[in-house]
Amino acid sequence: MLEVRDLTIRYGKHVALQDASLSVSKGTMVAILGANGAGKSSLLGAIGGRVRPSGGEILYGAQNLLELKPHELVEKGIALVPEGRGIFPGLTVSENLSLGANPVHARAKSDAGREQVFTLFPKLAERRTQIAGTMSGGEQQMVAIGRALMSAPEMLLLDEPSLGLAPIVVQEVFSALRRIRQTGLTILIVEQNARATLDLADHAYLLEAGRISGSGPAETLRNDPAVVRAFLGGAVTAQT
Amino acid sequence: MLLTTLILGLVLGATYALLALGLTLQYGICRIMNLAYGELTLVAAFLLVVLFKSFGLPPLVALLLICPAGYAAGWCLYTVMMRPLVQRSGARGRLEVDSILATFGLLFLIQGGLLVVFGANFTSISYLDQGVSVLGVPVALNRLVALVICVVAGGALVAALNLTRWGLTIRAVAQSPGSAPLVGIDVNRVARQGFALGTSLAATGGASLAMYQTFSATDGVVFTMKALVIVIMGGVGNVAGALVAGVALGLVETVVATAIDPGLTLAATFAIFLAVLLWRPNGLFGRRS
Repeated sequence: MLEVRDLTIRYGKHVALQDASLSVSKGTMVAILGANGAGKSSLLGAIGGRVRPSGGEILYGAQNLLELKPHELVEKGIALVPEGRGIFPGLTVSENLSLGANPVHARAKSDAGREQVFTLFPKLAERRTQIAGTMSGGEQQMVAIGRALMSAPEMLLLDEPSLGLAPIVVQEVFSALRRIRQTGLTILIVEQNARATLDLADHAYLLEAGRISGSGPAETLRNDPAVVRAFLGGAVTAQT
Repeated sequence: MLLTTLILGLVLGATYALLALGLTLQYGICRIMNLAYGELTLVAAFLLVVLFKSFGLPPLVALLLICPAGYAAGWCLYTVMMRPLVQRSGARGRLEVDSILATFGLLFLIQGGLLVVFGANFTSISYLDQGVSVLGVPVALNRLVALVICVVAGGALVAALNLTRWGLTIRAVAQSPGSAPLVGIDVNRVARQGFALGTSLAATGGASLAMYQTFSATDGVVFTMKALVIVIMGGVGNVAGALVAGVALGLVETVVATAIDPGLTLAATFAIFLAVLLWRPNGLFGRRS
């Protein structure tokens, strides 16, 4: 479904990502794991149209995503939840969700989408008239994920959804992701919280210093001693 | 006496509010502070006069032409002149500075054109100038027509901004242009729409002003300044604030003109402006910055 080939991203002279290739097949959840500054967000940013790569290609079906403008991705069925969430802080929860259903194909399904989001995050239903910027970080993350789901996507890109959240809230977000995954949505997630992510994902790529250093089924990686040492060390708290 | 002042002030204020609405939209959506705004208002005012005097077109019909023509003019202006500035502006401050300089130049270009075509003399039309009694006060019918135009146009816009999906899109871009592409909004397209809409409001305001007021080709700066004062009083980008501040300024000007001296209206405007800048720089209804 998504095919990234030899992607290279540079910021000036600094190479953030070197010849990264990965593929995501329909209905699976794929994780990209790595430490801070490994190039995870650059990789996802390039797929989401926010970062211009200097080489390589990104294919979504037959479509070359690099030919599209950022706002056209949503119409193609790709929804990005960026790091920092990118919600509209001055608008209400309900308005944020309505904006999510902006693509033409999503408008007809917007009532069903809203229903789904409120089932997933009952808190948002209670607070639909609250100004999004006045909510806690975890709630804002729910708004961001909810808004992405409102666009009736085929594929969801998540950039560090647990970043900066309290452990209890992280659990809430991951349990929501588990339920989203059960709906059959294709998910590509970038995370530092490797353990919780590997519990959920089908497949994972390991990113170190701008290069893909390994990949495999999540189950295998979970038990790989080298991965356990590098990514699942004591610092990461166990989840779900 | 007081009632007369109030009613006349309200009419003037409604026109100001409509003018300020356009300017605040342009800044709020496109981050372009359009210093040629008053000139665009004047072009519409002259257009109304020409259509009326030379072609015998009733001003209300002319308005129906001028309003979309303003939109089209704004659309072209954005595409030709603003788009290159937007494209090369990386940091936000740069576009603001560039657009102020560019539109400052445009101001003189349009003003020069108007002076060549219409000269520096005052122009006015006599249209519906019979008096109508409002609450016992005689008011010229043309002023009432202008009031209705401003209330309808301004009200429709505010309703559209707050109640429709289109309005929601506009507000989203005004608040977080960086996030708008995430929900499939083409920021450039919305910005062009916003600029065109603002120009259309400038044109509508100018045309309704021409129905009851005398003006000359050099008055544009005054309109821009007044609209700017109102926008800053109301809080930049704050639509409701601009409406209230516009009406307030119209009332203050009329009160000063009748109670003290007509020559002092501009002084009063700028006294208010200074006071707001000094004590309430975020506007009377100050959204925290």
